[in-house]
Amino acid sequence: MAELGEADEAELQRLVAAEQQKAQFTAQVHHFMELCWDKCVEKPGYRLDSRTENSLSSCVDCFIDTTLAITGRFAQIVQKGGQ
Amino acid sequence: MEASWSSPAPGGPGAAEPQLQRFVEVEAQRQRAQLLVHHMTELCWEKCVGKPGPRLDGRAEVCLVNCVERFIDTSQFILNRLEQSRRARPVLSESAAD
Repeated sequence: MAELGEADEAELQRLVAAEQQKAQFTAQVHHFMELCWDKCVEKPGYRLDSRTENSLSSCVDCFIDTTLAITGRFAQIVQKGGQ
Repeated sequence: MEASWSSPAPGGPGAAEPQLQRFVEVEAQRQRAQLLVHHMTELCWEKCVGKPGPRLDGRAEVCLVNCVERFIDTSQFILNRLEQSRRARPVLSESAAD
Protein backbone atom coordinates (compact mmCIF):
# COMPACT_ATOMS: atom_id res chain seq x y z
CA MET A 1 0.00 0.00 0.00
CA ALA A 2 1.38 3.40 -0.91
CA GLU A 3 2.47 5.67 1.94
CA LEU A 4 -0.07 8.40 2.69
CA GLY A 5 1.03 11.99 2.28
CA GLU A 6 0.45 14.47 5.11
CA ALA A 7 -2.72 15.86 3.52
CA ASP A 8 -4.17 12.35 2.97
CA GLU A 9 -3.25 11.38 6.52
CA ALA A 10 -5.07 14.44 7.89
CA GLU A 11 -8.10 13.72 5.70
CA LEU A 12 -8.16 10.10 6.87
CA GLN A 13 -7.98 11.22 10.51
CA ARG A 14 -10.84 13.64 9.90
CA LEU A 15 -12.96 10.89 8.31
CA VAL A 16 -12.25 8.48 11.16
CA ALA A 17 -13.12 11.15 13.76
CA ALA A 18 -16.39 11.93 11.91
CA GLU A 19 -17.31 8.23 11.78
CA GLN A 20 -16.47 7.83 15.45
CA GLN A 21 -18.67 10.77 16.36
CA LYS A 22 -21.52 9.35 14.27
CA ALA A 23 -21.16 5.97 15.96
CA GLN A 24 -21.07 7.60 19.39
CA PHE A 25 -24.23 9.58 18.65
CA THR A 26 -26.01 6.49 17.33
CA ALA A 27 -25.03 4.63 20.50
CA GLN A 28 -26.42 7.51 22.56
CA VAL A 29 -29.77 7.42 20.73
CA HIS A 30 -29.88 3.65 21.19
CA HIS A 31 -29.17 4.09 24.91
CA PHE A 32 -31.94 6.65 25.32
CA MET A 33 -34.31 4.34 23.49
CA GLU A 34 -33.55 1.62 26.06
CA LEU A 35 -34.23 4.03 28.92
CA CYS A 36 -37.28 5.86 27.63
CA TRP A 37 -39.20 3.36 25.51
CA ASP A 38 -40.42 1.39 28.49
CA LYS A 39 -41.16 4.47 30.56
CA CYS A 40 -43.12 6.30 27.89
CA VAL A 41 -44.61 3.88 25.40
CA GLU A 42 -47.27 1.68 26.94
CA LYS A 43 -49.03 0.08 24.02
CA PRO A 44 -47.81 1.24 20.58
CA GLY A 45 -50.66 3.09 18.84
CA TYR A 46 -51.22 4.47 15.37
CA ARG A 47 -49.03 7.46 16.05
CA LEU A 48 -46.93 9.08 18.77
CA ASP A 49 -49.46 11.06 20.80
CA SER A 50 -48.59 14.26 22.65
CA ARG A 51 -48.54 12.54 26.03
CA THR A 52 -45.88 10.11 24.79
CA GLU A 53 -43.90 12.91 23.17
CA ASN A 54 -43.93 14.91 26.40
CA SER A 55 -42.84 11.86 28.34
CA LEU A 56 -39.98 11.23 25.89
CA SER A 57 -38.84 14.86 26.12
CA SER A 58 -38.88 14.71 29.90
CA CYS A 59 -37.08 11.40 29.85
CA VAL A 60 -34.24 12.70 27.68
CA ASP A 61 -33.90 15.99 29.59
CA CYS A 62 -34.11 14.29 32.96
CA PHE A 63 -31.45 11.75 32.09
CA ILE A 64 -29.14 14.47 30.83
CA ASP A 65 -29.67 16.45 34.04
CA THR A 66 -29.00 13.30 36.06
CA THR A 67 -25.77 12.66 34.18
CA LEU A 68 -24.61 16.25 34.66
CA ALA A 69 -25.53 16.19 38.37
CA ILE A 70 -23.66 12.96 39.00
CA THR A 71 -20.66 14.07 36.93
CA GLY A 72 -20.56 17.38 38.81
CA ARG A 73 -20.84 15.78 42.23
CA PHE A 74 -18.19 13.21 41.38
CA ALA A 75 -15.83 15.93 40.18
CA GLN A 76 -16.38 17.76 43.48
CA ILE A 77 -15.57 14.67 45.50
CA VAL A 78 -12.43 13.96 43.47
CA GLN A 79 -11.32 17.57 43.85
CA LYS A 80 -11.86 17.49 47.62
CA GLY A 81 -9.97 14.23 47.84
CA GLY A 82 -7.03 15.78 46.01
CA GLN A 83 -6.65 18.66 48.48
CA MET B 1 -1.57 -5.51 7.03
CA GLU B 2 -0.76 -7.60 4.00
CA ALA B 3 -3.72 -8.81 2.00
CA SER B 4 -4.43 -10.04 -1.50
CA TRP B 5 -6.02 -6.76 -2.54
CA SER B 6 -2.80 -4.89 -1.83
CA SER B 7 -1.24 -6.30 -5.03
CA PRO B 8 -1.73 -4.02 -8.04
CA ALA B 9 -5.12 -4.49 -9.68
CA PRO B 10 -5.83 -3.63 -13.31
CA GLY B 11 -6.12 0.12 -13.49
CA GLY B 12 -3.53 0.59 -10.73
CA PRO B 13 -3.55 -0.01 -6.95
CA GLY B 14 -6.27 2.60 -6.38
CA ALA B 15 -8.84 0.67 -8.47
CA ALA B 16 -9.47 -2.17 -5.95
CA GLU B 17 -10.10 0.19 -3.02
CA PRO B 18 -13.48 1.70 -4.01
CA GLN B 19 -14.78 -1.87 -4.44
CA LEU B 20 -13.48 -2.83 -1.02
CA GLN B 21 -14.94 0.31 0.50
CA ARG B 22 -18.33 -0.46 -1.06
CA PHE B 23 -18.17 -4.04 0.23
CA VAL B 24 -17.38 -2.87 3.77
CA GLU B 25 -20.21 -0.30 3.62
CA VAL B 26 -22.75 -2.89 2.47
CA GLU B 27 -21.68 -5.38 5.14
CA ALA B 28 -21.75 -2.73 7.87
CA GLN B 29 -25.23 -1.67 6.76
CA ARG B 30 -26.42 -5.29 6.76
CA GLN B 31 -25.10 -5.77 10.28
CA ARG B 32 -26.77 -2.55 11.49
CA ALA B 33 -30.09 -3.66 9.98
CA GLN B 34 -29.83 -7.06 11.66
CA LEU B 35 -29.08 -5.52 15.04
CA LEU B 36 -32.00 -3.14 14.63
CA VAL B 37 -34.40 -5.96 13.78
CA HIS B 38 -33.17 -7.94 16.76
CA HIS B 39 -33.60 -4.98 19.09
CA MET B 40 -37.09 -4.16 17.78
CA THR B 41 -38.14 -7.79 18.11
CA GLU B 42 -37.13 -7.83 21.76
CA LEU B 43 -38.93 -4.59 22.59
CA CYS B 44 -42.09 -5.33 20.58
CA TRP B 45 -42.37 -8.87 21.88
CA GLU B 46 -42.62 -7.41 25.39
CA LYS B 47 -45.24 -4.87 24.37
CA CYS B 48 -47.43 -6.94 22.10
CA VAL B 49 -47.25 -10.58 22.99
CA GLY B 50 -48.87 -11.56 26.29
CA LYS B 51 -49.36 -15.22 26.81
CA PRO B 52 -48.16 -16.92 23.59
CA GLY B 53 -51.03 -18.77 21.94
CA PRO B 54 -50.91 -21.42 19.22
CA ARG B 55 -50.44 -18.68 16.63
CA LEU B 56 -49.92 -14.90 16.42
CA ASP B 57 -53.42 -13.37 16.63
CA GLY B 58 -54.63 -10.37 14.62
CA ARG B 59 -54.45 -8.01 17.61
CA ALA B 60 -50.81 -8.90 18.24
CA GLU B 61 -50.02 -8.45 14.56
CA VAL B 62 -51.54 -4.96 14.49
CA CYS B 63 -49.65 -4.14 17.67
CA LEU B 64 -46.38 -5.32 16.12
CA VAL B 65 -46.88 -3.19 13.02
CA ASN B 66 -47.61 -0.15 15.22
CA CYS B 67 -44.66 -1.04 17.40
CA VAL B 68 -42.16 -1.03 14.54
CA GLU B 69 -43.48 2.29 13.25
CA ARG B 70 -43.59 3.89 16.72
CA PHE B 71 -40.08 2.60 17.40
CA ILE B 72 -38.82 4.46 14.35
CA ASP B 73 -40.84 7.56 15.31
CA THR B 74 -39.47 7.42 18.84
CA SER B 75 -35.87 7.04 17.66
CA GLN B 76 -36.29 10.05 15.41
CA PHE B 77 -37.92 12.03 18.20
CA ILE B 78 -35.10 11.25 20.62
CA LEU B 79 -32.52 12.11 17.98
CA ASN B 80 -34.12 15.50 17.41
CA ARG B 81 -34.44 16.12 21.14
CA LEU B 82 -30.78 15.26 21.71
CA GLU B 83 -29.76 17.61 18.93
CA GLN B 84 -31.79 20.38 20.57
CA SER B 85 -30.20 19.68 23.95
CA ARG B 86 -26.69 19.61 22.48
CA ARG B 87 -27.21 23.00 20.92
CA ALA B 88 -28.57 24.38 24.19
CA ARG B 89 -25.89 22.74 26.35
CA PRO B 90 -22.58 22.18 24.50
CA VAL B 91 -20.98 20.67 27.65
CA LEU B 92 -23.05 17.53 26.97
CA SER B 93 -20.73 16.33 24.25
CA GLU B 94 -18.00 15.83 26.85
CA SER B 95 -19.83 14.52 29.87
CA ALA B 96 -22.92 12.67 28.63
CA ALA B 97 -21.32 11.08 25.61
CA ASP B 98 -19.62 8.24 27.53
